[in-house]
Amino acid sequence: MKLLVKKDELCIGCGVCEEVCSKAYFKENNREKSCIKVEAGESNTINVCNQCGVCIDICPIIAIKRDPKGVVRINKKECVGCFMCVGFCPESAMGQHDDYIEPFKCIACGLCAKECPTGAITVEDLDFETKEKF
Amino acid sequence: MMDVTVLKEAHKLLAEYKYEPAKLDRGYTNKSLYINIGDNRIEEKQISEDVKEKFIGGKGVGLRYLWDATKPETKWNDPENEIVIAGGPLCGITQYPGAGKSLVVTISPMTDLPIDSNVGGYFGPYLKFSGFDALELQGKAEKDVIIFIDGNEGIIRIEEAPLEAIDGHVVSEQLTEMYANSEEDKKNISVISAGSAADHVNIGLLNFSFYDMRRQVARLKQAGRGGIGRVFRDKKIKAVVIKFKGTKGNLNNPVDQAIINKTGIKLHKQIHDLDDQQCRMRQIGTANIIEVMDEYDLLPVHNYQYGCHPDTKNIASNVFIEKFITQGMPDGCWFGCSLSCAKAADHFEIQTGPYKGHKVTIDGPEYENAAGLGSNCGIFDPAIILEGNFYCDTYGVDTISFGTIVAFAMECYERGIIDKEITGGLELNFGNGLAQLELLHQMSRGEGFGVLVGMGVKKLKEVFVEKYGADPDFLNDIGMEQKGLEVSEYLPKESLAQQGGYGLTNKGPQHDEAWLIFMDMVNNQIPTFEDKAEALHYFPMFRTWFGLMGMCKLPWNDTIPLSNATADEPAKIPEHVQNYINLYNGVTGANIDKYELIRQSERVYNFQRVFNIRRGKGLRKQDAMPYRSMGPVTKEEYESRQERYDKQLIELLGYNPEGKTTEEKIKVMREYRLDQYEQLTDAVYKRRGWTPNGVPTVEHLKSIGMDLPELIEVVEKHL
Amino acid sequence: MIKVNNRDSEWEEGLTITRLLEQKKYTFPKIIVSINEEIIPADQYDTTIINDGDDVKVIHLLAGG
Repeated sequence: MKLLVKKDELCIGCGVCEEVCSKAYFKENNREKSCIKVEAGESNTINVCNQCGVCIDICPIIAIKRDPKGVVRINKKECVGCFMCVGFCPESAMGQHDDYIEPFKCIACGLCAKECPTGAITVEDLDFETKEKF
Repeated sequence: MMDVTVLKEAHKLLAEYKYEPAKLDRGYTNKSLYINIGDNRIEEKQISEDVKEKFIGGKGVGLRYLWDATKPETKWNDPENEIVIAGGPLCGITQYPGAGKSLVVTISPMTDLPIDSNVGGYFGPYLKFSGFDALELQGKAEKDVIIFIDGNEGIIRIEEAPLEAIDGHVVSEQLTEMYANSEEDKKNISVISAGSAADHVNIGLLNFSFYDMRRQVARLKQAGRGGIGRVFRDKKIKAVVIKFKGTKGNLNNPVDQAIINKTGIKLHKQIHDLDDQQCRMRQIGTANIIEVMDEYDLLPVHNYQYGCHPDTKNIASNVFIEKFITQGMPDGCWFGCSLSCAKAADHFEIQTGPYKGHKVTIDGPEYENAAGLGSNCGIFDPAIILEGNFYCDTYGVDTISFGTIVAFAMECYERGIIDKEITGGLELNFGNGLAQLELLHQMSRGEGFGVLVGMGVKKLKEVFVEKYGADPDFLNDIGMEQKGLEVSEYLPKESLAQQGGYGLTNKGPQHDEAWLIFMDMVNNQIPTFEDKAEALHYFPMFRTWFGLMGMCKLPWNDTIPLSNATADEPAKIPEHVQNYINLYNGVTGANIDKYELIRQSERVYNFQRVFNIRRGKGLRKQDAMPYRSMGPVTKEEYESRQERYDKQLIELLGYNPEGKTTEEKIKVMREYRLDQYEQLTDAVYKRRGWTPNGVPTVEHLKSIGMDLPELIEVVEKHL
Repeated sequence: MIKVNNRDSEWEEGLTITRLLEQKKYTFPKIIVSINEEIIPADQYDTTIINDGDDVKVIHLLAGG
């Protein structure tokens, strides 16, 4: 399955990933609208979806599904905007912004990984067992 | 897949109405839909600002319309009696759990008073999205009809529908299939139906469907209390079907979506973090309290004689979880309900009756079903309880009333007041689950002792006295009804405040106004009459508010925020009260606080009280409770709690029980407890702004902005 | 003798909150326990000793069935 793999220890907290992501999907540079978020501090923490799929079962209207590559995707047309997936995400990685009535999430597109200066984030295609280790 | 074309071809169009669906503005469409199936009239009405201000929505607006539609002497089966269905300004939001409720009101065949019932399912939200805050159904059809509302196309039809089933689970499936264009489309349909027993008995209910996309079945939630299904079938309505495609999270067009999102997500997180340790609503729903009630001696057993039973372990919540309930489903009855209390048993094989051998999906069991069908009737077999639950729902029978009536009939049978000849051969001993199921089948067929049972405890008492010479005083003591409505499934015997919580209500003894047993009996937080009166003012008003909004009560206190441990008034769950204020202000743009919230309810609560008085009831004498709810009626009951009762005689009355017979002690205890209830009644009426006879005073009506001329006219006759 | 919810209750040497809850059959999951008005976290019920004369409150949070 395809997912974004993070290495917190390499992250320098530059925020390029957030900028790339929000520009790509919402046409503005706004970290609140990024599917990946860096919590900067003494050590930086990268918060992003690990494609675990808990939200698939939480969604009351089956608007969240795993695609053939293993990526968990939201069908925004079907979504009724309840945000249960936001509250129940074990990683707190489901995005939400009041400008939109649907949540948003990382689809492992890799745009941010391409721009990351330190290699702290990479897109990988892992089998389920390997994924469990992360 | 069933073939519904034959059913559809038999439909005959009686009336069609086209309209432009109104868009919502700040939680309201400002329109209501009036349908008269007597003369096939379909009209739109404007909802005035004045009605919105005083009655808000939901049951407030419903009661207003019902008052206007009926006369003081209107009976439940008169054509002018209405069934009004309305959400409320918050109904239909998807971010906060429990926001899809419909409130249904009508003149009840059980109480001859307005009844109100709060029900889930998709109908209420879809009605609003289809352009109507409320639906009024009036008149009586000649032949069975279906009303269809298409909220996208703006079409309403009344059609004769002779071939569809009457039973709730079948007709809901048939009509979901018929009106959906595809499997995908089924989630956009909601059906209101009753059931075959509602054709014959007064305890008939309404089923509201919601399509479960994962189980691929139309599931049912119930507007259970007070016989609304009976009125529905008396009007010859087979079903009301609504279709709306395009649900989104912002269709209520709120003023401040952001605060609604924030408030909702906060609660989702809280439920995610805490529910597994708290009520396990997501795992088992309200059934989590079966064993809790047993442990605290509050579970009704053998017609409320006792509060616990050694066999309760056989119907404890884990038994249902392990043996019957399917897990891993988001069982909300409206989108966004992360509390998800609506449980279902799948592929349950029915053992009796017309659906014997069918494998069905059963919604439940809820606590009330397990206690009412189960322990109160001495039945501790979970499969029988589930089957009873299934048949109650599909036949359109209120499980609470049914459970309490059967428990009463069983006690009468055990005590020899009635016998096998009277029951038509049924051995109505406590614990006879098959006899209980047979009573249900009889109701569905409209024959036998079951039909009499379905008329309620009040009717049974009359018949047992008049025809079989029973002692009326004893039956009034043990028959757990008040105002004609059966008591719901908690034993209030040792909690004076809860006796008031049941007795000092508008519609009858249902626990949705106040449930104070722990605060009173266990926590000892409200020791004085004034304390109890304050609680019996606050909680009924607070909880009325859910019915004005189209909200569910469960997310208020079946999940508790961490902040509550240090809150000033933990019983009120202050953080959640603030959530509701945020939601209301966020949707409507108003600026209410927690005091105005109570005031909003007070207006409608007092209106309903005056409605009762207008109908020649609603006074102090109707608020009396059967003594079984207040203390030990029989020797066995006294002796089962002898230590507790003897101690109370000494400590509270200074009466020495030494050497006294049980009968003597019962008598002394009875005088004391009845007097306590009278004193409580005085205190509560005073706190509510009512006279000692239970009549709202003109000053009080003025102070809450409800000095409407038609109300003053009613109360003045009693002042 | 101690007070539990303002009612007299028997006391014994070494009485813990857990033991008191067992004695009273207070099994409800949503409770708040305080001793002399100080709230005790749930993970300390096993180890918190109640002294003779203490004012114990076991508040059950359920105001609605």
